[in-house]
Amino acid sequence: MSEKKVILPGDKVNTRGSYTYKVGEQNYSSIYGILTKNEGREKLIPLSGKYIPSEGDLIVGVIKEAKFGGAVVDINSPYSAFLPTRREYREGDVVFAKIFEVDEVKSTKLGDERQLYQGEIIEISPVRVPRVIGKKNSMLELLKQKTGCNLFIGRNGRIWIKGDNVILLKKAILKIEKEAHTTGLTNKITKFLDEELTKEIKIKNKELK
Amino acid sequence: MSGNKELELFKNGKRLDGRKFDELRDLKITAGVLKRADGSCLLEWGKNKVLAAVYGPRECLPRHEQNPLKARIKYRYNMAPFSVEDRKRPGPDRRSIEISKISQEAFEKVIFTNFFPKASIDIFVEILQADAGTRCAALTAASVAVADAGVPMKDLIVGIAAGKAGDEVILDLGKEEDNFGQADMPMGIVPTTGEVVLMQMDGDFSKQEFDKANELIKKAVPVIYEKQRQALREKYEKQQKAIEEDLE
Amino acid sequence: MDEDIVLKLKKDSIIKMLKQGEREDGRKFDEYRKIEITEGYVPKAEGSALVKLGDTQVLVGVKMDIGTPYPDHENEGNMVTNSELVPIASPLYYSGPPSPQSIEFARVVDRGIRESGAIEFEKMCIKEGEKVWTALIDLHVLDFDGNFFDAATIGAVKALWNTRLPEYDEKKEKLIKEKSKGKLPVKYKPITATFAKIGDSIILDPSLTEEKVSDAMMVMSIRDDGHLSAAQKMGKGSFTIDEINEMFETAIKATKAVRKLI
Repeated sequence: MSEKKVILPGDKVNTRGSYTYKVGEQNYSSIYGILTKNEGREKLIPLSGKYIPSEGDLIVGVIKEAKFGGAVVDINSPYSAFLPTRREYREGDVVFAKIFEVDEVKSTKLGDERQLYQGEIIEISPVRVPRVIGKKNSMLELLKQKTGCNLFIGRNGRIWIKGDNVILLKKAILKIEKEAHTTGLTNKITKFLDEELTKEIKIKNKELK
Repeated sequence: MSGNKELELFKNGKRLDGRKFDELRDLKITAGVLKRADGSCLLEWGKNKVLAAVYGPRECLPRHEQNPLKARIKYRYNMAPFSVEDRKRPGPDRRSIEISKISQEAFEKVIFTNFFPKASIDIFVEILQADAGTRCAALTAASVAVADAGVPMKDLIVGIAAGKAGDEVILDLGKEEDNFGQADMPMGIVPTTGEVVLMQMDGDFSKQEFDKANELIKKAVPVIYEKQRQALREKYEKQQKAIEEDLE
Repeated sequence: MDEDIVLKLKKDSIIKMLKQGEREDGRKFDEYRKIEITEGYVPKAEGSALVKLGDTQVLVGVKMDIGTPYPDHENEGNMVTNSELVPIASPLYYSGPPSPQSIEFARVVDRGIRESGAIEFEKMCIKEGEKVWTALIDLHVLDFDGNFFDAATIGAVKALWNTRLPEYDEKKEKLIKEKSKGKLPVKYKPITATFAKIGDSIILDPSLTEEKVSDAMMVMSIRDDGHLSAAQKMGKGSFTIDEINEMFETAIKATKAVRKLI
């Protein structure tokens, strides 16, 4: 059984990680977040916060400015990134890329990019992204399958979507963001999508008659 | 500060507003009240109405103020023109600038600025209605807003003042006590360690009175701290409740 | 991080939706967002009101003071309107001297109220040529989610209709703020309707996104009797005369419903 608790800066915790600090032998939380206890293991996740680039992350970026040797990319962070490339990108172009390098002053280099054409970008709180991806991509696959849309989820809270049923996909994503801390979310979203799709079929059938 | 004894600030063990010497005014704190800001807090303390908002970490501008080792903290205390009895002209005056400086210094001690090189953490506090003790109310509200924004901190900061009026050492000065009392000492304390990150004093305190004032403050800090924490807890609980109601 | 960069991408999808008669938040083209008004939010001020228009929040405070009349209006009181786009309201606001946007905001709201004759200046004279009442209106934007004009005007009108006059001691020539004697004399409730033009579509009460992708905007101040008291066009785009006439018609209808809330 998992236990959940609201944690505040300065609270004592038994876990160690990016959101804790140590004084002597005791660990403390540095953030406002949720502490879950599952089979003796404690995990601390923040309730809010900006995206800070981390090596290996896949992100959705928007080209800000073409520069010599590459482009400056907005990655929805206090830090912008640089994409070294010979391709000529223009302001507003959307790319899905990997963060190759982050140095001590958070200068960020991107690579492995692919351009995403047309479509739309939704922004959600970066701390909720893992929920939209799900364990082993389970939520991501569910969304793709049920809506038939194409989507790329960036760790930086930006999600690029394209397809016929984007309106339903948008609703589902915002629902996941809102209900990120409830249990059984995958089942709830499956149910939600099935209900909405059934509604759509009924409306279509009425129109055909 | 002038000790105006003609105005009876203390009579029969009760202050002008009926409080005892160690009693706080009513305090109500709500977290997450603004849409645009990354973190926010509305705080009502006595007749004070204070709104704090935090943006950050975000890009630090102007560029020449960027620090490659850590984030810059900006704190701006501002009084709305209608917040005081005689309308105040908009814009920072010397008093606001001083308060902003010492409050920013207080937050330097608790925010983990080294996690965000070159960035800026901007804290803004608007005094919507003023009734003595606004800098402490502002500090208290700002702490909640910083936590609400997800900015990592060692702990929150509690702002609280003690002073002297009618020859008695008192906690949390009201307006008349501030205007006509004999001493005023606003402080900013880190609750889990007791560190003092903000302190000012003006008036007259003997060593004994000073110690009494610190005793009053020490007892008040956990009470205010719990209200800050409760506000943050309630924000989350309210959101969860709204989700459950949606599903019904 | 640049908010505007993602918004520019949204413009196309918004124009597409508008062509199909739809707005992002599902509203009709002539519909205001939800309006919540809290009268007397700052009890210490002589008059005040907090207005929530969707998620935009504006706090208006009114302070009464004794001033000197303008030279050609020796026996009339007067009003001054100031605005503060304080940094808490938006990541784009900065602290410093008022921006042209802030100044325009105050002046447009001011004209809407002043030109309608809402405040009865002729009843605000204390001593002809020397002392008159001055209403100092301060617009404090707390949360900017599009269209602060309408939110501020609603707040200002609500505040003015509930502004008390402090007692004035003629002998000592001093204001006794703790005591009040009467209310500010007001006779109209001018309400503004703000429109945004996006592509060829014109919508009332733009949200933040709609405002940001708009080509032009128009604010119209409508009086209780349906008269136009003030108007201002903003932005780099343009309107046709037909569009302006239509907006005037829409404004009369829409502001009527809002006026009932005050």
